[in-house]
Amino acid sequence: MENNLIPGMPAPNAEGIQPAAQPNHDAPAAAPFTSRTDLSHLARHADAIRQELGKVIVGQQALAELLLTAILADGHVLLEGVPGVAKTLTAKLLSRTLEVPFSRLQFTPDLMPSDVLGTSVFRPNKAEFEFRPGPIFASVVLIDEINRAPAKTQSALFEVMEERQVTQDGTRYTVPEPFMVLATQNPIEQEGTYRLPEAQLDRFLFKLNVGYPTVEEEIAILQGHHTGFGGTPLEAVRAVLTATDLKGLREQVRRQHVEPKLLEYIARVVGQTRAHKGLYLGASPRASLALLNGAKALAALRGRDFVTPEDIQYLAAPVLRHRIQLTPEREMEGHTADDIVKQILQQIEVPR
Amino acid sequence: MLALAAPPVAAQRPRNAAATYTLPPDQTTPVKLRQPAPERLRAFRQQREFQYVEVKSEQSSWELLWRHFWQWVSDLLETRPGKLVWEYGIYAGLVAALVFVVLKLMQVDITRAFGRSPRPGALAYDVQAEDIHGQDFDALLAAAEAESNYRLAVRLGYLHVLKQLADQNLIRWQPDKTNHDYLFELPAGPLPEAFQELTRQFDYVWYGELDDITPTHYAQARATRLAFQQLLHSGRRAA
Repeated sequence: MENNLIPGMPAPNAEGIQPAAQPNHDAPAAAPFTSRTDLSHLARHADAIRQELGKVIVGQQALAELLLTAILADGHVLLEGVPGVAKTLTAKLLSRTLEVPFSRLQFTPDLMPSDVLGTSVFRPNKAEFEFRPGPIFASVVLIDEINRAPAKTQSALFEVMEERQVTQDGTRYTVPEPFMVLATQNPIEQEGTYRLPEAQLDRFLFKLNVGYPTVEEEIAILQGHHTGFGGTPLEAVRAVLTATDLKGLREQVRRQHVEPKLLEYIARVVGQTRAHKGLYLGASPRASLALLNGAKALAALRGRDFVTPEDIQYLAAPVLRHRIQLTPEREMEGHTADDIVKQILQQIEVPR
Repeated sequence: MLALAAPPVAAQRPRNAAATYTLPPDQTTPVKLRQPAPERLRAFRQQREFQYVEVKSEQSSWELLWRHFWQWVSDLLETRPGKLVWEYGIYAGLVAALVFVVLKLMQVDITRAFGRSPRPGALAYDVQAEDIHGQDFDALLAAAEAESNYRLAVRLGYLHVLKQLADQNLIRWQPDKTNHDYLFELPAGPLPEAFQELTRQFDYVWYGELDDITPTHYAQARATRLAFQQLLHSGRRAA
């Protein structure tokens, strides 16, 4: 039997049930099982963004939550889906909810790196070259159809996506803070697309699959368009989060608690991708960091100041699916990256 | 016309056909025969590269033993029972090879069949599952409470509840499942709500790293657990 006489604790009643705790002046005033960090500010902003997106986007709550997670985790997002599932619209709407400089790039097969990054032009009046920043110098950069440009142009994004800077003629130019790339792409099986280089895929925090809506959602989409949004869909959405606010929220996310065993759990999950027989390429340590930062942001969005294994499991597929490559045998058997991630999660014990 | 155009046969002989000439032997230069120096010749003959006759070395005792052994095997196989063994041995070997290939294709770890420990994986850390059924939770809880290690006590209490749920077949215990997976497995009724609160408290204490948990806070967590256990017990009695 359990010892019911615990030092400092009220004695249980005859049924073994502990009576309600008596007021203890030594105990902290806050409720014992609530967040130690005030996340109400974050929750308010997250709700406001959800609400703005919900004015136009029907359904896709999970997508909206993951996009918010990426914003808070300071990561880039790759949206993949067949044409017509509102990938670009979602990205545009999300950027509109943020009160930060925005630019859009339509990737085409003839796009050059200088069209993205900028170029040095000669000023005859000054008799010197001057750097003209490209569209990448914005806080939210929407790259539409990213996999329609060849590898040469894709490579131009490597430095800016990871180091938040562009080096031209030996000079470093820093992009504004916050900086986020929202890219859309069609599945690689589609006509006129290129597979993105692994190094670039690794720089995306999440790859989110945008699927078809349900019948009910599609009816709601039709109704929305039939009655109109009171203008164009973009006009219906307003900015609700400033750069300063976002900086503060990100700082709050960085301070989230992570139990040491959960760090080990993340390392195990990612490490297993490198040992799995069905995988030709495993995930990098950058994937571990992405999983950690993503889990911290998701936990904050869900009102907790600490990460749980659910957060990690929930984000495992969005973080890992674009970073791993299946062996040809597994691909021929019809397996997907998500299947392998699921198998890996089933192989590893949840710390508790 | 054609006959007139054809050249005479003599004209077809190759114009550059040269006459054959032979040189007379040179009688003027005397032939001088050169012999190698005997010491040099002897030195060459002693070199291993110029020993063209191979001298068979005598067999060692080990080689002799093997030779006798194979001779014995050969004699044995020549006998009637030996021939039978040889014949069926080939079939047995073929069957064993086939089974091995099938097991390999099915990715079955056959090392377990011989009582050996499974092959170590590629990971350098322990992935052994925690055995909740092999723990004496009452004793562990009492020890944690006595040491005022309330965080550990909350964890042990929660694991104890999971064990009880698994024992009553209300959940299917699997190490890869999360607490919320178990919550969704619980049948409809008062249990899910109570378990949700218990899980919430465990999450805050364990994953939220509440190290400074006071006796009063622990009393609250303990009361929630005991209430749940009582609910579980009454549910079993009713069933």
